[in-house]
Amino acid sequence: MSNKRKRFMPLLALLMVASLVLGACGSKNESGGEEGTAEKPVELIWYTIGTPQKDVDKVMAEVSKYTAEKIGVTIKMNMVDWGDYAQKLQVMTASGDPVDIMFTASWAFDYVQNARKGAFLQIDDLLKEKGQGIVSALDPAFLEGSKVDGHNYGIPANKELPAQEVWRFNKQLLDKYKLDMSGVYTLESLEPLLKTIKENEPDVYALAVDKNQMPYVKYDYIIEKLPMAVALDTTDYKIVNVLDTPEMKQVLGTMHKYYKAGYIPTEAATMDSMTDAQTTGKWFADRATSQPFADNLWSASYGYPVVSTPASDALIYNWSVMGSMQAISANSAYPEKAMEFLNLLNTDPVLRNMIDSGIEGVHYKKVSDTVMENLDESKNYDMPTFSLGNLMITYLNTTDPTNKWEEFKKFNDAGTVAPLLGFNFDTSKVTTEIASVQNVKEEYWAALMTGTVDPEVYLPRANEKFKAAGLDKIIEEAQRQLDEWRAANGK
Amino acid sequence: MGAIGRFFKDMNKNTAMLLMVLPATAWFILFSYLPMAGMIIAFKEYRYSRNGFLSSIIESKWVGLQNFKFLFSTNDAYIITRNTVLYNVVFIVLGLVIAVAMAIMLAEITNKRLAKLYQTGMFLPYFLSWVIVGYFVYSFLSLDRGVFNQIAEMLGMDPVNWYSSPGYWPIMIVVVFLWKSVGYNSVIYLAAIMGIDKSLYEAAMIDGANKWQQIRNVTLPMLMPLMTILTLLAIGKIFYADFGLFFQVPRDSGTLYSVTNVIDTYVYRGLKSTGEIGMTTAAGLYQSIIGFILVITSNGIVRKFNKDNALF
Repeated sequence: MSNKRKRFMPLLALLMVASLVLGACGSKNESGGEEGTAEKPVELIWYTIGTPQKDVDKVMAEVSKYTAEKIGVTIKMNMVDWGDYAQKLQVMTASGDPVDIMFTASWAFDYVQNARKGAFLQIDDLLKEKGQGIVSALDPAFLEGSKVDGHNYGIPANKELPAQEVWRFNKQLLDKYKLDMSGVYTLESLEPLLKTIKENEPDVYALAVDKNQMPYVKYDYIIEKLPMAVALDTTDYKIVNVLDTPEMKQVLGTMHKYYKAGYIPTEAATMDSMTDAQTTGKWFADRATSQPFADNLWSASYGYPVVSTPASDALIYNWSVMGSMQAISANSAYPEKAMEFLNLLNTDPVLRNMIDSGIEGVHYKKVSDTVMENLDESKNYDMPTFSLGNLMITYLNTTDPTNKWEEFKKFNDAGTVAPLLGFNFDTSKVTTEIASVQNVKEEYWAALMTGTVDPEVYLPRANEKFKAAGLDKIIEEAQRQLDEWRAANGK
Repeated sequence: MGAIGRFFKDMNKNTAMLLMVLPATAWFILFSYLPMAGMIIAFKEYRYSRNGFLSSIIESKWVGLQNFKFLFSTNDAYIITRNTVLYNVVFIVLGLVIAVAMAIMLAEITNKRLAKLYQTGMFLPYFLSWVIVGYFVYSFLSLDRGVFNQIAEMLGMDPVNWYSSPGYWPIMIVVVFLWKSVGYNSVIYLAAIMGIDKSLYEAAMIDGANKWQQIRNVTLPMLMPLMTILTLLAIGKIFYADFGLFFQVPRDSGTLYSVTNVIDTYVYRGLKSTGEIGMTTAAGLYQSIIGFILVITSNGIVRKFNKDNALF
């Protein structure tokens, strides 16, 4: 008998390992009858972007006490670091891991694409039933502008709506050489300032450009960083290859001139970021996207004064509307509870600030009703405020101007609408071409945009390869969809 | 009874052996055989379903060979295939020759302490990640702070912008690859050399063979089976390129793509933003099928010449 049993041991062990692993794959939350109350709360699993913070679990324990009381949920927050977020969430959604709420944006875990692939729950009805607070708190342009094929799949954070490009300057250097930024607007108008810096401060990056930067031209892109766009002042909505436009040719020429003059870092085309130069202060000018009082934010984070002057109008683009969103996962076991939570997050200052700044008395202390001050412990709970819902109900810092949120509202009201706002290109018919075109883009984009190579030589080469990769076919398909969209929306 | 009875008898007899291979078997079934079912994703337009991974696969739409198209749609297809295969051929040939040569030299060093030192020194780079190796290389090739350009400057020559001069890179890639991998392979060969019966050398010496003749007539023939097996295995991977080597070491510089773009980097660049799982699966399937065919063919050729050296 014992002999026989021994014989089956290997098989048994194998079966056990197999069932263990399979079991782990297939486990699911089972919902009972009385869940979702203060006595028996349900747990919502929330994935959001940012460097994981030490005190997340501690803060979430406090948050859960509050939300269990209010809406019968507890929160398990998982933070995924900036660089890993898109990839990790891609894998998690593809394999069906349990997630209830997740961060999404135009620039991380692409909102439109994943909405189309079915990663997010369509929330048109849920918003009406459980999310009235969100609807009334947000500028209507947010919910309108973040619709995909006519439906909402995510809740944008209430923040700045338009995007405005600015030239930023390292004020120490600006003052040292008594330079004046008031006359600067175009790329060309920067030249005399860059020249002075180059002559006097050879170790400083006069124009700090890395491989992710591209010169500003007045076009609205169909897909970010692919050369298909319509002019901002378009009336016929014709999609053009932006590399073929005189505006682009001119700025690329200027960039190359600056590169040759030594204003741009020699290795700009392979540099991932300017963090080193920003930490050491060895840069003079660069371009960034702004919001009201952004100078204060930048100065605070770099530790030296930074000033800025506009480089473009303030426009509302798809990507600025979808800059920060929270979506409910399509396979969430508790979609209604998730919406209730998001509603509370966007309307209740207590919850919103707890998630943002931590526990009162531990991570921050209140100075007045709407103003707070970070305590030392806040280094263990330093969250990216913009990514966690409604900005306008967060407490001000002691250094913030008291009219901060009023200025945000003014800024939002003043923004004009970019031509493609609300249009989202469905790439499913041209995936093959997109993959090829992406490869051509990777080959030429950074070298051209940083001015590293001569556009006279490389632009024609790039365009030829883009054509061979099927750019025209993509443009044709995009144009067809855009024309349909115009007809449907009366543009 | 018959067959089943014999099966259990065999099982019983070899219990200890079977238990030893059990972990590996379980590992292979779980991580190599079970996931093979996922191959069908290559023929589907993968879309998420509410009910998890399996129903996502089942409910996704069939698209035939659509997912494979992007690999062949442009003339990049030629460049990436050429780069992948040629680099791998060079890696296989040079890797074999240099690793075996190093192993023989190490074996001949009489000072064992020094031999250990060299061996460890050669082995070390194998454990470095490509990201770190990428920065090593960068410290040599950086335009304004790199070692090479500083030497060039001292000698009064013009600095070279390495990361935008494709001409140098085929050599650079091969050198870096060998530097990183040769140590590991030579340790395998060294172990095999250590296992060669010493009496063979004694017999050869009695016959008056010098060192060179001993190496040629004893060491190399004894190493032949191992060399064939390792080479056959490498041929199976000829359509796979080391992503880290071709992406991290040239710092993803666009100007170098004509000599650094390989199948794996092409797939990554084309799909990193769209995340089309169907297309990445298709690329992987294509690589493994070609690899499979190549292994079968080359194994067949080896069998023709020497049955004992073949893998199966």
